[in-house]
Amino acid sequence: MQATLDPKPSSPAPSAEVSVAIRDLCFNYGSSQALKDITLDLHKHEVTAFIGPSGCGKSTLLRCINRMNDEIPGTRVTKGSIHIEDINIHDPSVDVVKLRRDVGMVFQKSNPFPKSIYENVAFGLRMRGVKDKQVIDQAVEESLRSAALWDEVKDRLQESALGLSGGQQQRLCIARTIAVKPLVVLMDEPCSALDPIATAKVEELVWQLKNDYTFVIVTHNMQQAARVSDRTAFFYMGELVEYSDTKRIFSNPRVRKTEEYISGRFG
Amino acid sequence: MPPMNQQHIFHELDKTMNALKDSVLLMASLTRQNLERSVNALLNRDIDLARSVIGDDTEVDELEMKIDQIGMDILLRFHPVATDLRLVITSMKMAHNLERISDHAVNIAKRAKKICKSSEAIETTIIEPLYTKAEKLLRDALLAYTDANPELGQGLKPADAALDAEHKQVIAMLSGRLENAGPRAENLLHLIFVARSLERIGDLSVNIGEDSVFLSEARDIRHEHRKSPEAGESQD
Repeated sequence: MQATLDPKPSSPAPSAEVSVAIRDLCFNYGSSQALKDITLDLHKHEVTAFIGPSGCGKSTLLRCINRMNDEIPGTRVTKGSIHIEDINIHDPSVDVVKLRRDVGMVFQKSNPFPKSIYENVAFGLRMRGVKDKQVIDQAVEESLRSAALWDEVKDRLQESALGLSGGQQQRLCIARTIAVKPLVVLMDEPCSALDPIATAKVEELVWQLKNDYTFVIVTHNMQQAARVSDRTAFFYMGELVEYSDTKRIFSNPRVRKTEEYISGRFG
Repeated sequence: MPPMNQQHIFHELDKTMNALKDSVLLMASLTRQNLERSVNALLNRDIDLARSVIGDDTEVDELEMKIDQIGMDILLRFHPVATDLRLVITSMKMAHNLERISDHAVNIAKRAKKICKSSEAIETTIIEPLYTKAEKLLRDALLAYTDANPELGQGLKPADAALDAEHKQVIAMLSGRLENAGPRAENLLHLIFVARSLERIGDLSVNIGEDSVFLSEARDIRHEHRKSPEAGESQD
């Protein structure tokens, strides 16, 4: 692993193939409980999809993994823990900025900085204090190649990232995320604003990159969850209803509520 | 998991799924009817009945194509999952098995027609026990599917084994009579082919039973005898 969290391991230690271990997690927005005793493991080199109706808590859980919810006043984890590579991310010694470098995030709407394509990808490295131009050049090219964007932008690296198409911007955001070699990549409905071709490119990218990272993707698109993920977790009203192998979830779910949701019988 | 009773939010999917189920039920009913009428034509030397079975098979063929079209339509438009997906897959497979059963009914009707035209008397009642077993197998397989009864669907193999044993006996008996049959030999050969069709109908019914287990429980029980350790040892 090239990226690490602050080294202060505490129990429970996740098993070897587990990247993120979530245990009995409860989370509140003020007095409203958004997550209820969530326990699940996210596995290395796998894509895990979070599905469920709006308001079920899937995005809240995603944002707990890199403590993005800390930015919202009145929110708090009331119980439980999240361990990433043996580190309790709520330990006071954890540097949240570093955590968010180790746990990158791609949002629903692409959000490139109003800078050049090159500077967008180089941003994380510069924040880490890397100054060697050769090192940055190499990292930018590697990241853009990994994000399947290099051939499309190699001759205009100094042009504004805002001039790229929506799909290219989203892949640029992925390149920016992986440039700092995170452990985990969180994706919150990354294709909801993209056309089918751009969506397919992002899905292909996730599939190619999962050998190097742990992916978690929140999606409302059941076909996307079925296509791109190895495991799927179904949430309803803040509870984890079912978590299983994706093929199992979409062919023979154990829980009736899951089947009602994925087959469009809900409500 | 028990079958889903709740309707889909998108009612067009329910409407299309119901059209699929109705077509399968109609095809199953016509196929059973064709089998029954073909054997009656043979037993009662009813050439008109035999001709009508042969003619009515077209309707079964058309239903097979209609079921495939509806299935494709559902896959294309609605991307079904879980029980819905299994229903589409098993319905299309069931249509294929039913079409082949109806083809066997046509084969029986064609043999019946030839026997009717022959002036030689032949003891057609020999095949009655075979028909009784094959017809019950088909009935139970269809019930397993329509009533979502996986136990019934999984339990068809012993009945099919009994049908196979009966088939062997009938073939041995008819073959034994062939040597000295003289002009009756042709009719005996027709009966051998009828027996063969009834035996195949048993096999196809077992396929439907296996598909009904997949539909209800998402378990693939096909070729299970080959997967068992005992079977592996015996093959060695």
